[in-house]
Amino acid sequence: MVRLWGGHKVSEERLRPEDAPPSLYDDQGNPRFFADPGMDRFVAVMMNLAQEVWVQEERLLALEAEKSGQTVDPEAKVKEFIDRVFAPIREA
Amino acid sequence: MTVELQHPMKAAATPEEVARGRFTSGIRSLILNDLAADMRSAYERRAAPAFKKEHGHEPETSREAHQALRGDPAFNIYSAMRVQAQKMVWASVADSVEREADRLATEAEKAASGEGSLTLDPDLDVPKNVHAIDVHLMPGSYTRGDTSLEAGAVYDRGLAVFSMGLMGANLDDIGLSMSQYIKQRFPNFAPTRILDTGCTIGHNTLPWKQVYPDAEVIAIDAAPGPLAYGSARANMQGQNVHFQQMCADDLAFEDERFDVVWSSMFLHELSTKQRAKAFEEAYRVLKPGGLVIHMELPPNEQMGAFDGFYLDWDSYYNNEPYYKGYRDEVPADLCARAGFGTDDFFEFVVPSVGIYGEDAVAEAAKGDRAEGVGQEATGRIAEGVMWFGYGAVIK
Repeated sequence: MVRLWGGHKVSEERLRPEDAPPSLYDDQGNPRFFADPGMDRFVAVMMNLAQEVWVQEERLLALEAEKSGQTVDPEAKVKEFIDRVFAPIREA
Repeated sequence: MTVELQHPMKAAATPEEVARGRFTSGIRSLILNDLAADMRSAYERRAAPAFKKEHGHEPETSREAHQALRGDPAFNIYSAMRVQAQKMVWASVADSVEREADRLATEAEKAASGEGSLTLDPDLDVPKNVHAIDVHLMPGSYTRGDTSLEAGAVYDRGLAVFSMGLMGANLDDIGLSMSQYIKQRFPNFAPTRILDTGCTIGHNTLPWKQVYPDAEVIAIDAAPGPLAYGSARANMQGQNVHFQQMCADDLAFEDERFDVVWSSMFLHELSTKQRAKAFEEAYRVLKPGGLVIHMELPPNEQMGAFDGFYLDWDSYYNNEPYYKGYRDEVPADLCARAGFGTDDFFEFVVPSVGIYGEDAVAEAAKGDRAEGVGQEATGRIAEGVMWFGYGAVIK
């Protein structure tokens, strides 16, 4: 059985390890980790949002580099950004 | 660190798409290094002691470690973020592949005049494990776009984001490390024909041609699109490799045709039955004196409960249904059941040549060949990765 995802055929078939309890997944077969399933989706939203903020940050860095003539290392900057934004989860 | 692929057969990305990929690599690095360490700490401080209190013993298996960790905050955060990061890997490259589809097809046509070749089999019944599930959460799996270049292009650029630079500039670190190791360990071995089974886009096939330039190299896979992409990718790099659509458990080659049968990160995507047949086929097509070599995840029998669970995570949450079943098997038994002699089996750990350098690979080929199997860095796509391999010689 297939469904369309962005114009592509995507399988809905779920193969699982034999010893996987059904409780690991929600009613659509997606992995479930938190007691409140909304939390799993909230984590995904937070990560998408952080990614889009980084896209804008990288655009800004490029513009500033063009203006100042001084380049920065985007790899080092993205690490600083991620470490700063996600610091609270290190307490888990 | 994000890899910018060094070959011309790739979809060009916009600055925004590059930024999305960079973020995705960065967040994966946080998850696979820092959050993984937090989860281990939580396991030792909370989860394992709580399990012992309830069951009277520490977790002894991967399954028990999983049971102990379910519901722990560190496990929940690590897992929920890792699932989303995996989806972001493929999403971060999909637009560029779609936009570049026509250009890639034109480039591939031009490259078709190269020395290598592509042979597809329209009558092949592509197995369920290749098309019926979105393997490692990759939308459309290996047959996305049917015979077009789409699946290969998504896989190539996606793997560059996924690997955080740990698989080399052209995603060939495993092939480079392993082929150089074999060359060092068996200095008089001079293969004339090498077969890569389950090659996907041939990223770990090409190093064998580089290390053994006089050998004929044939790479097979069941999925047609990645093979077409891989063939163009190889030709554009001036590599003479022959790509053929074929299943590893049903090889259309006569007996004793090859000196090497190789695979990388492939066996864990086969069912138990397919895997056993693939070993039998490898045994059949190898010449006397030939080598079967597999790079794979280390087996559960050689790891503690937590480290075993850490690798088995993918089986439950990353659409890798056969992953744990494979890791529960014993490599020596897989070889022996196919006919290889028990005394002819060997296993080893190779330092990543990209991280540790060629001297480290050469040193590993001389040293205690199984050392490092139980080390945390073995088989994990994280800082300091080392690759696990095993094989057997046909006498």
